[in-house]
Amino acid sequence: MASSSISSGALVTLQELNSSSPQFRQGASLRVTGKLQDYNVETAIATIVDGSASLKIDTQHLSLNLRVGSFYQFIGELHIQQPNNEGVLKARVGRNVDGIDLNLYNQSLQLLREFQADQINARTS
Amino acid sequence: MEVLYNTHVKLLAFDFLSLTPIPSDPTSFSRKGTPLSRAETLGIITTRELKSGKFLKFTVDDGTGCIPCILWLNQLNSPYFSRRNPSDVRLISSVSADFASIIKLGLVARVRGRITAYRGTIQLTVSTVIIERDPNIEILHWLECIKLARRFYDVVPSRK
Repeated sequence: MASSSISSGALVTLQELNSSSPQFRQGASLRVTGKLQDYNVETAIATIVDGSASLKIDTQHLSLNLRVGSFYQFIGELHIQQPNNEGVLKARVGRNVDGIDLNLYNQSLQLLREFQADQINARTS
Repeated sequence: MEVLYNTHVKLLAFDFLSLTPIPSDPTSFSRKGTPLSRAETLGIITTRELKSGKFLKFTVDDGTGCIPCILWLNQLNSPYFSRRNPSDVRLISSVSADFASIIKLGLVARVRGRITAYRGTIQLTVSTVIIERDPNIEILHWLECIKLARRFYDVVPSRK
């Protein structure tokens, strides 16, 4: 896309975002969803969880009211910090998604990926 | 399929961005051979650039790509509108200004408009903006786009 200087946040689940996944790249633009487990007001680092997976989010550029226990969605770029290869998403936008059906969301995400793959295959064949 | 030409076709961003211009008609864009002129997108507003009195440019990110949108705000000064009934022009201008005021970063918007191209980049020239608050609305939009594509938009009618 010539005119847009920002990238689309690729949809990923927190479970998929481990150090061995192809999405786990420095600077990758991602969209993540999860429940706020804790929030450090001084560092503005929030931790969101989805099942057993978690991710740190740098929320310093957001003017979002963060409440522990609520569900949030963030779009931003992944920064991988050394030495422990830990990912932190530097969020550009965030929103409260309390009421989201996460099961349906994850299922729909799979359907969306299948659809995209089918469409792209159809174009090249 | 003429029926799709006058409707706001629900397209995922990756699909929208692959539309190709039809050389003989600047208002038409082809999706696998089917001519379209209008589309609907739904996603998170991730950029916002206001040129006061002229336009508001913004981006809608639906998870599959980013659709550039342009909302014109220049109706009162534009020669294009100078021959129209002034009270109509004021109304259009007022509605556009209202849309501009509700578009904010991080909100989910349903945007409808005409498919246009600017310097080779495909974009949406906005006619309607609705801010959506339901957290499950994006899921619904994805599923609707998939269903409509598979059952309707992809189905090429046989020539008679």
